[in-house]
Amino acid sequence: MSLALRQTQALSRRAVIRTLRIPQAWVPSLFFPLMLMAIFSGSFAQAPGRIPGFPEVAGFIDFVIAGIILQAVLISGTSQGAALAIDIEGGFFDRLVSSPVSRLALVSSRILANVVQGIAYALFFIGIAMVFGARIEYGFLGFLLVLVFTALLAAAAGSLGVVLALRSGSAEAAQGSFPLFFALMFFSSAFFPRETMDGWFKVVADLNPISYIVEGMRVPIVGIGDTTDVLIGLALVVGLVALGFIACLMALKRRLRGDL
Amino acid sequence: MNDAAIEATGLAREFKGGIHAVDGIDLRVSSGEVYGFLGPNGAGKSTAVRMLTTLLAPTSGSASVAGHDIVGDADAVRRNIGVALQDAAIDPFMTGRELLKLQGVMHGIPRSDGGRRAEELLRRVDLMDAGDRRVGTYSGGMRRRLDLALALVHEPNVLFLDEPTTGLDPISRQTLWTEVRRLNAAGTTVFLTTQYLEEANELADRVGIIDGGKIVAEGTPAALRAEVGEPTLSVALEDSVQAGLAREAMARFGAFVDTDEQSVAVRLPGGSSALTEVVRALDQCGVVPRGLDLSEPTLDDVFMAKTGRRLEADEAPES
Repeated sequence: MSLALRQTQALSRRAVIRTLRIPQAWVPSLFFPLMLMAIFSGSFAQAPGRIPGFPEVAGFIDFVIAGIILQAVLISGTSQGAALAIDIEGGFFDRLVSSPVSRLALVSSRILANVVQGIAYALFFIGIAMVFGARIEYGFLGFLLVLVFTALLAAAAGSLGVVLALRSGSAEAAQGSFPLFFALMFFSSAFFPRETMDGWFKVVADLNPISYIVEGMRVPIVGIGDTTDVLIGLALVVGLVALGFIACLMALKRRLRGDL
Repeated sequence: MNDAAIEATGLAREFKGGIHAVDGIDLRVSSGEVYGFLGPNGAGKSTAVRMLTTLLAPTSGSASVAGHDIVGDADAVRRNIGVALQDAAIDPFMTGRELLKLQGVMHGIPRSDGGRRAEELLRRVDLMDAGDRRVGTYSGGMRRRLDLALALVHEPNVLFLDEPTTGLDPISRQTLWTEVRRLNAAGTTVFLTTQYLEEANELADRVGIIDGGKIVAEGTPAALRAEVGEPTLSVALEDSVQAGLAREAMARFGAFVDTDEQSVAVRLPGGSSALTEVVRALDQCGVVPRGLDLSEPTLDDVFMAKTGRRLEADEAPES
C-alpha cells in the first residue's frame, strides 16, 4: 500500500474513532433523522395511493428512507467539518502539516471517514425501516445500489464540511452553515414527491439537483422509476463529489499558503 | 550542501495590513547547536518558527533547514525536522499511544516499527502508565512531554520547540530541560523560542534576541552579558551612617549604581577578582556589611540595553 493511502487510512480511522468517542458527534446523525422518519411515516402513513400524484409505493417509510439517509450524512458531514476546524483551531492540523504527510490525505481522510460513517447510518436506518415493514424492491442488488448512493452522498457532504472548515478555520462557522444545507434538502423531493408539489416550491424542487439524486436512490427501494432515473441520480451525485473535492483542494491550497 | 542546520537570509513575513511580523532576519545555526530565540510576546518568534517549519511561506528572503530550502524543497525539510509548537492542542479524545502511532504513519514509519517506537518514546518521556489513557486526562506537564515525544517519532536532525515550557511548573520545566539537553548531547540541533531569560541562559549555546521582528543581538549568553558591562557589587548595611562610610570606601572601585539608603552598589569592572580588595577596604573604614551580592548582568539587562525595555522578567521562574 502506498504511503499516501496508508496515511489516508490512518487519519480516517482516527476521525471515526474520535466520532465514536464523542456522543455529540454521532447521536444527532441518528436522532434527528430517526425523529423525522417517525413523524413523517406516522403523519403520512396513508399518503401512498390516497394523495393524488403520490406514487403507488408499498409504504411511506419505504419512500422516505433515501431522504433520511441524506439527512444523516449531511449532519455527519457538518460534524466532520467541525472536527477538522477544531484541529485547525487547536494546532493539531499544524502538527500534521509540518510532517511530510501527503497533502491529499489531509482532506481525503475526512471525506472517507464520512463515507464510513454514512454507510453505518444507512445500515441503521434501513434496518429500522425494515423492522417497521419496509422492504427493498430490488433485493440485495438494490440494497447495494442504495449503499453506493449513500457513499457518494456522504463523500459530497464530507467535502462540503471540509471546505467550510478549511476556509473558515472555525468550528462555529462550519457548524453554523448547517441550516443552509438543510434548506437545500427540504426544498427538494427528499421527503415528498415532486408530483404533490405546486407553485414556487415545485420550481425550486425541480431545479434542485438533490431531487434527482434522491429520486435515483429511491428507485431500487420502491421499485418505481427506471434505469435512466438511477443514472441521472448517479451522474449528479458523482458531479457533486467531483466539485466538492476540487473545492477542498483549492481551500487546502489557500490555507497552506497562509493567506487566510 | 552546507554544515549549517539552519540558515536564513533576510527572512521576512509581512501579513495583510502591512504588519512586518518578521522583518528580515539572518541566522546561522550549526549542526548540534542549541539556539535560543529570546523575545517578548509578539516579537515574531512564532512567525519565524512557522516559516522555518514550512507552515508559512516567507514574503521575502530565504532559508534552508537541514540543507533543504524551506520553500523549494519543503517536503525534505519536513522529513528532517521535529516540531513542537506553542500551545499545540493534542486531541484530548485520543490516547498518547494512538497519537504516537498516528504521527509515525505521517512520517512513513512502517506499521511494524510504529508500535515499538511509540512504546520506546512513552518510556523515554515517562508516560508509560498514561500511554493508554486519553490525553484529556493528562496534566499540563504530561501534555508537553507527549508533545515532545510526538516531535521525536522519526528521530529528527533538527528539533523546533516553540515556547516549550511556557506555563509549566518549575519541576516539569526541569524535566523538559533535561530531556532537551539529552537530545542535544545525542547530536540533535535544537531551535528553541522562549520568553524566559533563565531558559535561554540554561539551555542555549547561542541566543538571538528578537524584538519587533528583528534580531537585535546575538551571541553566547556569556558574551551577550559581557557586552552589556560589568557585574554589580551591592553591599547591604545597618544604617545610613554605615552606608556613608561604605560609599567613601567603595568610591575608587567603580561607578555607583542607584540603590536605597541602606545599601551601596558599584559596577565592578574587575568582577569577583576585585572582591577581596573591596572587603578589605570596607573593613579598614570600619564598615560591617550585612550582606554582599555580586551579580552578573542578566540577559534582561542585554534586552534593556538593546531595546530600551525590559522583558517581563517577573514572569520568569525562580531557579
